[in-house]
Amino acid sequence: MPNITIDGVEYEVAEGRTILQALDDLGVLMNGVDIPHYCWHPKLSVDGSCRLCQVEVEGIPKLQIACDTPVKDGMVVHTKNDRVKRAREGVMELLLVNHPLDCPICDQAGECKLQDYAYEYGVKHARTKEPRRAAKKRFDLGPTIVFDQERCILCRRCVRFCREVPGTGELGTFGRGDLTKLDTFPGIELDNDYSMNVADICPVGALTTKDFRFKIRTWFLEEIPGVCVGCANGCNAHMGVANNRVYRYVPRRNDAVNQTWMCDAGRLSYKEIEAPERLTEVSRRGEGGVLEAVSLEAGIHAAAERLRRVVDAKGAGVVVGFASAHATNEDLFTLKKLLSALGTEAAAVPVVTGEADELLIKAEKAANAAGARALGFDDPGRVLERVRGGGADAAIVLGHDLLDEAFLGDAEALGRLDTVILLDTRRSDLERVAQVVFPTRHAAEKCGTLTNQAGRVQRILQAVEPRFESYADGEILCKLGAALGLEGFDGSYDPRAVSKEMASAVPAFAGLDMDSLDPEGADLAGAATGRKAE
Amino acid sequence: MLKVPYVTNYLTEHFGDDAFATVDGYVARGGYETARKAITEMSPDEVIATVKGSGLQGRGGAGFNAGLKWSFMPKETDLPKYLVCNADESEPGSFKDRILIERGPHQLLEGLLIGAWATGSEKTFIYIRGEYAYPAKCMQAAIDEAYQKGYLGDDVMGTGFRHDVVVQRGAGAYICGEETGLLESLEGKKGQPRKKPPFPAQYGAFGMPSTVNNVETFSHVPHIIAKGPDWFRQFGTEQSPGTTIFGVSGHVVRPGLYELPLGTTLEEIVFEHAGGVPGGRKVKGVIPGGVSMPILPAGMLDVRMANELLREAKTFIGTGGVVVMDETTCMVRVACVISYFFRDESCGQCTQCREGTGWMNKIVERIERGDGSMEDIDVLEDIAGKVEGATICAFADASAWPMQGLLRHFRSDFEQHVTLGKCPFPESFEF
Repeated sequence: MPNITIDGVEYEVAEGRTILQALDDLGVLMNGVDIPHYCWHPKLSVDGSCRLCQVEVEGIPKLQIACDTPVKDGMVVHTKNDRVKRAREGVMELLLVNHPLDCPICDQAGECKLQDYAYEYGVKHARTKEPRRAAKKRFDLGPTIVFDQERCILCRRCVRFCREVPGTGELGTFGRGDLTKLDTFPGIELDNDYSMNVADICPVGALTTKDFRFKIRTWFLEEIPGVCVGCANGCNAHMGVANNRVYRYVPRRNDAVNQTWMCDAGRLSYKEIEAPERLTEVSRRGEGGVLEAVSLEAGIHAAAERLRRVVDAKGAGVVVGFASAHATNEDLFTLKKLLSALGTEAAAVPVVTGEADELLIKAEKAANAAGARALGFDDPGRVLERVRGGGADAAIVLGHDLLDEAFLGDAEALGRLDTVILLDTRRSDLERVAQVVFPTRHAAEKCGTLTNQAGRVQRILQAVEPRFESYADGEILCKLGAALGLEGFDGSYDPRAVSKEMASAVPAFAGLDMDSLDPEGADLAGAATGRKAE
Repeated sequence: MLKVPYVTNYLTEHFGDDAFATVDGYVARGGYETARKAITEMSPDEVIATVKGSGLQGRGGAGFNAGLKWSFMPKETDLPKYLVCNADESEPGSFKDRILIERGPHQLLEGLLIGAWATGSEKTFIYIRGEYAYPAKCMQAAIDEAYQKGYLGDDVMGTGFRHDVVVQRGAGAYICGEETGLLESLEGKKGQPRKKPPFPAQYGAFGMPSTVNNVETFSHVPHIIAKGPDWFRQFGTEQSPGTTIFGVSGHVVRPGLYELPLGTTLEEIVFEHAGGVPGGRKVKGVIPGGVSMPILPAGMLDVRMANELLREAKTFIGTGGVVVMDETTCMVRVACVISYFFRDESCGQCTQCREGTGWMNKIVERIERGDGSMEDIDVLEDIAGKVEGATICAFADASAWPMQGLLRHFRSDFEQHVTLGKCPFPESFEF
């Protein structure tokens, strides 16, 4: 492996990489070794056009662009000397010659690399007296993105993204010289399943998402590391939180899961958190057969009473459990534990499937299907037969995926059972057949772990407190277990403790409890494979 | 209309003869015999060694040793290899390739055949600028004739060597004369130069190993192979052998084409051959090699036109397009014209070039209007310095050098505009 020296510090780097790639591999780029850059992006082809990443390489007379200069053993690089500094100042000055400088009304403020680098590396006064290039402002490139042509610095990250990642190639640059403009090809819209990533990789305020723009100044956002729960891929996200509200998801880099990308559907799935369909109160079916709001204690009491009656009459074998592939490993471990303590082995998980692609979007439309399977929840076929054939009298149901055409299609079969205990985040037809209904928390409202389709266990942290009554599935199940007087249930639920318990009880999760995972997760049943900065 | 150069040498010797542009006329003068000799009697390495030994410099502007360039083509490869003939001739002040195509298309084709043999190329793309409608027609006619007579195709002259030639017309961009910008355009993409490395010899047209040379470069080759490197070296200087075709334009009595040995003084070209400035006026400045080369003032015309000798005068021979300007000329207007050209033609990918060319143009136009300040002149010089040498291709240099040259030798023209608040050269050309 070649050794290179940057500003007097030696680094061992991988063969065949450019200077920027090698520093990025080591996790030190802009994190110890500051080489500002615009057009270069770790997951896109090298463009070499912004010219900001120029550095001095000893033995080469001209400054070299770090994004495209391959590392060589013994290479000595300077990133801070006057020559490099002057070159950067030159680039920054020229980038601002035609920029509209409309920062007060630009929604990129707070995360604008043009501002950041102009401040850090630019000259502190303007020499230009000339009129600035006028171009189109605030126009739709497609259903998701608004474009400001004047602010664009033509780094062409978005152009390369559309060509290289979704492969749709909607964008190009047109014209020449300082009249060069980014746009979609004539007659085409920027419209693909990953279109909103262009706003993330746009270093300036040229490309913004219709969804987020002008919602909040970004400096008010706290970024909580989370995982998208839209499908089984488990793309890592930053949840942008302020005022106890999630304002957006943006991709969080994880080279083993989602690189630096997210699909549009997943990105917008934060809206589920405040969806009007959320269940907001505990309810119990009353005398007249109508659901009535009750306290959590009353709900737990009612659920325990009904389950106890069924078990006492017919044995635990008539109780079935349906896990939700949206719940955390900790929730599901608790469900499994409860069912076992009750004495039933009938535990299944319905997983809704849909469209998939070769990039990030997976067919299984739930974040923790693999976790549920690893915890012993089967495909629902056998258990559903029992429900349909009269072999079940009570069901504990997490989520509403059973209503999918692939499983029950409707609530009728469950309606024939004596008792249905429903734990769900949102309203569905299952409410009609449930005797007790508990509102549960969205993934952004609790902590725990999720296992993606590749078996990668990833931690989620609580981003917001629910604005209405709701509980983690695990908490309700713990209280239910205690109310049923089952062994191992004292009524309290601590996801961290459950996570530890699971890691010691289930071999596949050995070493994978919440507190042992790094932010990029680790694979089931094996050593942690998380990419760590060295 | 004048169709032949005023001064001819081996390249342009028969350009007065219409028949020379036809295959029969060319063959009658011994044409294609050199290609036959190369293919049947010489190994590709021998051809490359001969061209390398002749010291032939690329005539497209950069002046790189042509034989050396050919030697970069990979030998052990299964990939098809291509030659690309750069007939974009987009440098303002340059018009020599046009006559080489119109009057000597078979000389060019023979050069291409020899180059193809030397580099193992199966196909040549001749990229002709879009504005050259007539030359493109001449070239295509010559190619059609060559195919008919067996000088191109599956079995060139019965030697078993296969070579095809395709004409591709450009769409009017200066940057498509830059070899990798040309390749992008040839492939149907926007004409934007590629990062180097990889160089075209590794990754050229359509990703295949390719060699790109100028029309004139290829046209010299049959003469070098036929008569040998020593013969070639009797023309020109030690480091810059051979003749070249100087295209002289501007304020001269006889604008036109002059095939002269490299190393000829600019003075001889301008006064002896082109007849000096008409109307008894004096020379003010001369651009020696197309507008991207720094200008020289009247006092420096004793320079000899060869790169190694011009370097001292901080300019280069470029494409040999000599532009003469007389004493009425406003050098700020010259700067306006040139900077507008480069602003308009910058491909727009690199920051310094895209933004710098526009800014320089806006500043010189303001100075010309009389709205400039002394500080503007310094800013102009500073921008030129920042644009130069910092981008993917040499276009940025080409835009900076003329500004630097004008400021070096004619700074007082700029200063007078500032002091007077208007242009002090009322008789200068309108633009």
